[in-house]
Amino acid sequence: MTDTTALLRTEALTRRFGGLLAVSNLDMDIRPNEILGLIGPNGAGKSTTFNLISGFHKPTAGRLFIGGRDVTGRSPEQISRLGLVRTFQHGSLMRGMTVRDNLLVGAVGALPQARGEPRRARVAETAKRLRLTAYLDERAGNLPHGLQRLVSIGIAVATGPRVLCLDEPLTGLNQSEVAGILDLFRSIRDEDGSSILLVEHNMKAVMQVCDRIVVLHHGQKLASGTPAEIGRDEAVISAYLGKRHDSH
Amino acid sequence: MDNHAILKAGAPAVLAIALAAVLPASYASNLLNWIAIAALIAASLRMVLLFGELNFGTAAFVSIGAYTAGLLTTRFELPFLAAILAAGVMAALVSILFGYVTLRIKGPYFKLIGFAFAEVVRLCCTQIDWLGGNSGMVGIFPPAGLDAWYGTFVMTVVVLMLVGLYAVERSDFGKVLTAIRDNDAVVRTVGIDVHRAKVICFAIACFAAGIAGSLQAFANTVISPGDFGVLLSIMALAYLKVGGEESIFGPVAGAALLILLGSVALSFGAGEHVFYGAAIVLSVLIMPKGIVGMVDGLLRRPGGPAASTPAIREARGQ
Repeated sequence: MTDTTALLRTEALTRRFGGLLAVSNLDMDIRPNEILGLIGPNGAGKSTTFNLISGFHKPTAGRLFIGGRDVTGRSPEQISRLGLVRTFQHGSLMRGMTVRDNLLVGAVGALPQARGEPRRARVAETAKRLRLTAYLDERAGNLPHGLQRLVSIGIAVATGPRVLCLDEPLTGLNQSEVAGILDLFRSIRDEDGSSILLVEHNMKAVMQVCDRIVVLHHGQKLASGTPAEIGRDEAVISAYLGKRHDSH
Repeated sequence: MDNHAILKAGAPAVLAIALAAVLPASYASNLLNWIAIAALIAASLRMVLLFGELNFGTAAFVSIGAYTAGLLTTRFELPFLAAILAAGVMAALVSILFGYVTLRIKGPYFKLIGFAFAEVVRLCCTQIDWLGGNSGMVGIFPPAGLDAWYGTFVMTVVVLMLVGLYAVERSDFGKVLTAIRDNDAVVRTVGIDVHRAKVICFAIACFAAGIAGSLQAFANTVISPGDFGVLLSIMALAYLKVGGEESIFGPVAGAALLILLGSVALSFGAGEHVFYGAAIVLSVLIMPKGIVGMVDGLLRRPGGPAASTPAIREARGQ
């Protein structure tokens, strides 16, 4: 197994909400330099998994490791400082602030001690990378939807994460915007050497960009493997992929 | 800060200090002191609002400052400046304890706890004999040499404090505070300790409130628990709402208008509070963004601020 090299690993991760078992005995790992897709129908436990690994929920049972270190029960801030940064499905940005200040918050998180110039440089660099430079002085809430998504991702990218966890980053984007973001994901993997955990409903994009995919169903891992393997998996097709994938 | 910003903020500051310096000791100079102190208290309240919480405990921290300065001056005969500094430090220390415990709570509960804390502190002051009990403390005088210049001193300290608060607001730390108000979950995901940031901001705000309390103690030379009821926090909120929350000038404008109106209202006898209340309601109705917001709007081109800039239009059109 690749356990020793995994950036993030979950061991029998379980979360119960009253009578509902949202995530059950989930074993999953994210390796260096990979884009891992986490897919599954609505209610499969994707968001709960996200909340568990980012520290926003405490697991009912099971353990969470980052870089081989047991971080079960740590706060979101502590987990973020270990290099795991997430976005939220709805609005991971500060709408009342300028794009520049949004990115600055990410830069402050990444460079808590550095004042002034290093942070400004990080903001400029991130803006350039996400093609947001022209909008730096706009109020984020005034931007069209697609650009707001980019700002959300930009805040996380500005922290220089080792594992970037993105919750449905492509929702509501047009095709050219999607293509641009997928290129960005690849550059984060190939140039920064970071990994990405991607929860996404856009199957075509997931199949294109992911190195590996984990399929959740009723809170449990139904399958995992390369996109090609997942595309062939009978259990996955009957549970979820089915026509949606064929239609593309 | 660019030159324009320095001029915009510096000119009124110099004017205010000059006004305080030329005004002979009189009712008018007292009024100016009260305005300056009230503006600082409202600015303290606004500082906590940066991260989205309303600090009804403000009155408590003003009273802690006032009592600290009073005690150190009358009992321990500490130098004047040291007493003022100690007042701020004491209020900040208490606020760190209070904030550390309470700032994990959000929304109405934080307001209620602040409200309760202000009452508890006030009641404690009435019960503790060496604080003067119900009748409070007398004889808190500034040094004799400063007597004629006390108004100038108050205005200078207030201006310096406001400049300091403004600098914090404009710093990266200030941006983080605003981000917490806007979306604290995002701030946590980038690894910033939100609770710690709130406690630090709270302590800075309460330092200012403590300084304001000490200035008030020396200005009135008497303090009593009744001066620091919850009404003080509520008045500070009124100054802020009337003046405008979005700018550091808001608390100043609001305090100036309401205190001047209040001094007019004194002549109405029993009708004072009706007049005063009506003035607050009317100004909030007529100027939802406060005096500063209204002046800002008038100075801009008609049609208001452009919601859509060329860059955004281009993005929408593509």
